[in-house]
Amino acid sequence: MTIAVVSPGAYSRRALALLPLGFLFLLALLPLGRLLLEGWDGVRLELFADDYLQGRLLWSLAQAAITCVLTAVIGVPLAWVLARLAFPGRALLLRLMLLPFVMPTLVAGLGVLTLFGPRGISGLNLQDTPWLLLYGNLFYNLPLVVRASVDGLLALPASRLLAARSLGASPWRAFWRIELPALMPWLSSSLCLVFLYCFSGFGLALLLGGQQWATIEVEIYTLVAYELNLADAGALALAAMLVSATAALFYAALEARMAVPAKTEPLALLKVNTLRRRVLLASALLVLLSITGAPLLALLARAATVEAQTWRLLLNEDTALALFNTLRFSLMALLLASLLGVLHALAARRSTLMRAAAFLPFVVSPVCVAFGLLLLYPGWTASLLLLVSAYALLAYPFIAKSLAAALDALPPNLPAAARTLGATPWRSFWRVSWPWLRPAFRRGLAFAAATTVGEFAVTLFLSRPEWLTLTTLIYQHLGRPGQANLDAALLLSVLLMLFALLAFAAIEWPEKNHAPDR
Amino acid sequence: MKPVRILTTVLLAFAACAAHAAELRVLTHSSFSLPKARLAAFEQQSGVKLSLIKGGDAGEMLNKLILTRANPIADVVYGVDNTLLAKASAAGVIAPYSGAALKHKARYALGEGVVSTDYGYVTLNYDKAWFAKNKLALPASLQDLTKPEYAKLLVVQNPSTSSPGYAFMLATIAGMGEAQAFDWWAKLRGNGVKVAKGWSEAYYTDFSRNGGERPLVVSYATSPAAEVFYSKDKISTAPTGNLFLKGGVFRQVEGVALVKGGKEGEAAAKFVEFMRSPEVQAELQTTMWMYPVVEGSTTAPVFAHAAEPGFAAEMAPATIAAKGGAWLKRWNKVVLR
Repeated sequence: MTIAVVSPGAYSRRALALLPLGFLFLLALLPLGRLLLEGWDGVRLELFADDYLQGRLLWSLAQAAITCVLTAVIGVPLAWVLARLAFPGRALLLRLMLLPFVMPTLVAGLGVLTLFGPRGISGLNLQDTPWLLLYGNLFYNLPLVVRASVDGLLALPASRLLAARSLGASPWRAFWRIELPALMPWLSSSLCLVFLYCFSGFGLALLLGGQQWATIEVEIYTLVAYELNLADAGALALAAMLVSATAALFYAALEARMAVPAKTEPLALLKVNTLRRRVLLASALLVLLSITGAPLLALLARAATVEAQTWRLLLNEDTALALFNTLRFSLMALLLASLLGVLHALAARRSTLMRAAAFLPFVVSPVCVAFGLLLLYPGWTASLLLLVSAYALLAYPFIAKSLAAALDALPPNLPAAARTLGATPWRSFWRVSWPWLRPAFRRGLAFAAATTVGEFAVTLFLSRPEWLTLTTLIYQHLGRPGQANLDAALLLSVLLMLFALLAFAAIEWPEKNHAPDR
Repeated sequence: MKPVRILTTVLLAFAACAAHAAELRVLTHSSFSLPKARLAAFEQQSGVKLSLIKGGDAGEMLNKLILTRANPIADVVYGVDNTLLAKASAAGVIAPYSGAALKHKARYALGEGVVSTDYGYVTLNYDKAWFAKNKLALPASLQDLTKPEYAKLLVVQNPSTSSPGYAFMLATIAGMGEAQAFDWWAKLRGNGVKVAKGWSEAYYTDFSRNGGERPLVVSYATSPAAEVFYSKDKISTAPTGNLFLKGGVFRQVEGVALVKGGKEGEAAAKFVEFMRSPEVQAELQTTMWMYPVVEGSTTAPVFAHAAEPGFAAEMAPATIAAKGGAWLKRWNKVVLR
């Protein structure tokens, strides 16, 4: 089967791959290699005989795996309800779900502790237990799985499901035999991401679970940033990356096999008119609210108690600069990420390795890359170019992934027909393939925007005062004692949520129900 | 637009951002803060453009400087303190300085080319309201903290990832001796000490003043004054207090230095002098919450709430550099593993 999306040849596909691969090489692989080289002479393999480090490695794996299972078990039913039932505010809810992604770790921690802390609203004190740690992981990762699964369910051809139903399959059976298999590529791709995030994460989980639950990435971070022990750090980072690279490759192989082109005919949403559906909807909303909504609402509640005069204190040039920079950097990073994402997705059509490469930014150890960049480009480290490129690096896989999935589902006869009718490859892409891909592009872009606005790796890179963003301003306030600083941090977090919500709205607004335009 | 044209536009935009004029690059830790007007005045007077680069926590910042010493990322560095001094000196990242800044009479000096600018004390803070409400006497010594009535009341920072945490660990070792200090830490672990990643986490998620459940936190002697300064209604007494216990107070002296291999030597020296100028010495008190090192500096009124302890742990920078790494490992084993 030859599919002409842009142009058919393997040669041009390779040309497309050049830019994203070059970018990955310059911004992820080369810095990593440079840092590993710096500590190479001292690498000792005995390091891995250390019980403590073995424990860290195993724990990192275990909590990532547990989170994957939990997000799948909770996320898929939630996604089914959100994808199939019609209810007011559905579109808004799908956007609100991206908000956890934007919250700075410490702020999210404040929200969670407002609920389950020593003086939490819930009356339950779960601080320093593994439960709260897993809750933190769910808070950040459940939206990923739910959103991906919703998209997967919506991409299912209506005719297939209706056929099963008319042949007498119960809704339950239709779900197991028709919907779940169709969902698998979307689900497994999001689970792979969840695994990578949790495995290499060290933010919220550590804050909520306590230092004894440190992941391997925390050890790597401490070794590099504070001890400058590059030999041990390098050895650990290689071991960790072996695990995450395996996960990425495994997923890519799976996805390539599962890719089935299908013509999407969106299903009509079901009216919530039976008791069963009402109960389903209510319980789904309740679960969603208690996992992803509650910490954010707790933050809003805390911010609401802040007196009006503090709001006025925020009307200063720092806040204005932070807002302006957040907007400016996000736009620049998204522009670059879009370009890279589109090219990567097009180039990844037939190559498993290329699909796996899209996960590379989440496979490499962030602290190793950040310090490697310092070694590699000392003259550029405090430049905006590098900062924006780093944001784009962490954002573009979302666009690439989303587009790759949409490309898999693209019926090959459409662009082929256009070509037969004499359209140039470019015209066929722009007029036929792109409208088909656009919704997926927007979805990926929304996630990419969330990562750039939330600035995952902001603390790893060199920063400049004139680059003040909302996130850095929040951290600045939380770096000083005093009620006014805490209040300002809370209010700025609300501002950050509003900003992100506007961004998501701008990116995804024109679509009504996530069905591809036709 | 064709992809090629989009690409060119993007690259050109980036190239435009990257171009920059001659400037003085100042590497600082993330707590560096001075009024914008003051920095602008320096630029006008010295004729150079300041490019401030924040490199994270002080320890992390120094490591970034050490890692790039072949091709320095800055011309001046601010924030090297007595716990990092010997490491910086051994790594050869500091250039000697012998200019006008040294004419000022300083309370504490650093040496090794680093000009001291300010100092502070890492010490325990307590939540006044909590102790009043629970009718518990304040601990009178570090040993008291290992007693059952003070179980689960203290939060400290991980010395591997936080400079106040590191300073507090050093204070206990200087105060009690290595063997006894780690004994004490082991008992403290048994008594439920909480370890947070950094100062912000400890102060804003664990300290009882801000919603946590622990009324004792490792912080700075100026924190109560900052609580007054940043209070909502202009309060006259601090809601938190300093608890100066023997072996639990560490004097941290910070300074500014020329970076070896840095450019703009003349402007860099001017910046060193600038950090010791009366204006900066007066302003840094309420922007960075440190005490001015130059004798005779104006004291900010709010520093009435930041009385200095009469004592502090002393430890030679060379000892810290020689043994710090091993102590961290040992601390990690005793308290966390």
